[in-house]
Amino acid sequence: MSAITLKNVIKKYGAVQVVHGVDLDIDEGEFVVLLGPSGCGKTTTLRMVAGLEDVSGGELSIGGQVVNNVAPKDRGVAMVFQNYALYPHMTVKKNMEFALRPLKLDKAEVDKRINDTAAILGLGELLERRPVQLSGGQRQRVAMGRAMVRTPDVFLFDEPLSNLDAKLRTQVRWEIGKLHQRLGTTVLYVTHDQVEAMTLADKVVIMRDGYVEQVGTPEEVYTAPQSTFVATFIGSPSMNMIEAKVVAERLEANGFSMPLPDRFQGKVTEGQAVTIGVRPIEIKRVAASSTGAMQANVEVTEYLGNEALLDLRVGPHELVAEVPADQRVEPGKVIHIALNEGAIHLFDTVSGRTLSE
Amino acid sequence: MAYIRKRNKRIFLIFLLPAMLVLFLTTIYPMLYAGYLSFRSYDLAKLFVPRVFVGWSNYGEILGSSEFLHALVTTFKLMAMTLSVQLVLGVGIALIVTQKLPGMPLARTLLMIPMMISPVIVGLVWLFLYFPELGYLNYFLSFLGFDSIPWITSTDWALWAIAIADIWQWTPFVMMGTAAALQSLSPEPYEAAMIDGNSRWDVFTRVTLPQLKPVLVSLMFLRAIDAFKIYDIIFVLTKGGPGDSTEVLSMFIYRQSFTFWRMGVGAAASFVSLVIIVVLITLFFKSLNRDQVS
Ligand SMILES: Nc1ncnc2c1ncn2[C@@H]1O[C@H](COP(=O)(O)OP(=O)(O)O)[C@@H](O)[C@H]1O
Ligand SMILES: [Mg+2]
Repeated sequence: MSAITLKNVIKKYGAVQVVHGVDLDIDEGEFVVLLGPSGCGKTTTLRMVAGLEDVSGGELSIGGQVVNNVAPKDRGVAMVFQNYALYPHMTVKKNMEFALRPLKLDKAEVDKRINDTAAILGLGELLERRPVQLSGGQRQRVAMGRAMVRTPDVFLFDEPLSNLDAKLRTQVRWEIGKLHQRLGTTVLYVTHDQVEAMTLADKVVIMRDGYVEQVGTPEEVYTAPQSTFVATFIGSPSMNMIEAKVVAERLEANGFSMPLPDRFQGKVTEGQAVTIGVRPIEIKRVAASSTGAMQANVEVTEYLGNEALLDLRVGPHELVAEVPADQRVEPGKVIHIALNEGAIHLFDTVSGRTLSE
Repeated sequence: MAYIRKRNKRIFLIFLLPAMLVLFLTTIYPMLYAGYLSFRSYDLAKLFVPRVFVGWSNYGEILGSSEFLHALVTTFKLMAMTLSVQLVLGVGIALIVTQKLPGMPLARTLLMIPMMISPVIVGLVWLFLYFPELGYLNYFLSFLGFDSIPWITSTDWALWAIAIADIWQWTPFVMMGTAAALQSLSPEPYEAAMIDGNSRWDVFTRVTLPQLKPVLVSLMFLRAIDAFKIYDIIFVLTKGGPGDSTEVLSMFIYRQSFTFWRMGVGAAASFVSLVIIVVLITLFFKSLNRDQVS
């Protein structure tokens, strides 16, 4: 039985539709990340699952039961908010107690739950402090603790790390992952940060302008992007995109030409406008004499320690190549490169959909 | 630098001078003069009797007089009546007008009108409403089949009549301050409570009220200081009567000074009232500071 199911779920604010029919299946215990740029409808979708926003159309089920019209408190979910949403006048302990109040547990059970959660999250020392007396990372953990004490069936997270500095973000991200392994509770997690998505998710849901672009494991969305949007959104630095045309079994672009790899035979038609996608790491430096070598001007070199990023110009095209640091060259030099044919992606330029399948 | 700083110091004095002059002429000098008077026997009705120094005897007279104590008690009684109702009504209305419902911004604006009317006018308006026989209130009461109420002519009702007018005028003040505080509260904890399933009552008493408390305490102190000085409405409606049933401190002072022309006694009573107000204001600032510390 799946923990959460969305069937063609729609959200409208007045006449404006912001979520256009989302379909999604979340299994028991799965860690699912909604990923997409700001404004694409992630928070709205999450808030519909929480019950903080009405569903304008479609069907939303939790634990096999349709909950479109079920009050938030009866959905068995707990939410961790972007700004933590702690009660500012209550101590950490009181915050957790207040979340437990509706469950009407006896005092011993309340204390046990709070102490257990505090131990897991390392909040023991902080129980008598109020939110203003805590750092950002500590508030974040209190917010998680307040959600955990209720032992919900589903955790909802809305950009929980966005208010933390880079170092803390890595640490808390790791803690969230560990916590999920330990508790095994279903998680629906919203972020615009692909690193969070890739590291935490069992399943990534990539959203764009209120539509789901692709659903898959982190590996699937990285290695088999279904659209140019997913291809450029996932991976850092972004995948290079070259607009080309299919001409006589070759991919021809202005000042750039390569044979059509065999695996695309029959999937493209003569004269079709296609977009070649190639990750920076799949662009190699080669000798000038080797077959398929293209001449490229190095415009900028970024040294990153282990590797270096080269901003290249090939004819009218700008490409980024990621090379081992010892292969980097000074800006202004001319080098020769070749694309790893086995690793290129091909998209239909008009629809933006993949041609790899 | 030093030169400029010195010059700036002198310029700042020049800018302050007009304000200080006004403050001196309208507040400090009268206050000092009242202080001087409070130690003299000064009877305007006996113009040619010298204004001799009488020590603390004016203070002794008022502190020992049952009339003064009665006025003091009446003042605090009226304060308790108006403040408690204003607090409950003000918070209640604030909770309603801060809901995201159509018409609420307009309602908020309209509800603030009483506060902007001069208290004398408020007194006159309520005089029309309370007027025995001809008043609108009694007209409506008889229309509905009730007996008419001797609003301002009975010792049982007069203080309530005053209180109602004051409540009508100043509940909006409490409402406005509370509404502003309510709107500054972060909405997210309320959503968290909604998901966790906390009851509305729990959310109000344990999330909203504690966060409003500093503002409510401030509003109540401001109202208390004002209520202590209440004068205009009473002057228009009852002039302290019937009998002495609505004689508050300010009416007592007025009567001593301008009815009996006993300036020295009136001044002494003013000083006692000043001391009480200073105590209230000090407590008010103390409570402000305590909020800032926590
Ligand atoms: N209460 C609202 N009224 C109208 N439009 C809204 C409201 N909330 C969000 N939106 C719109 O819905 C879209 C999606 O918003 P949101 O779900 O917050 O995006 P995300 O979380 O992915 O950044 C945005 O274009 C936003 O402007
Ligand atoms: Mg968002």
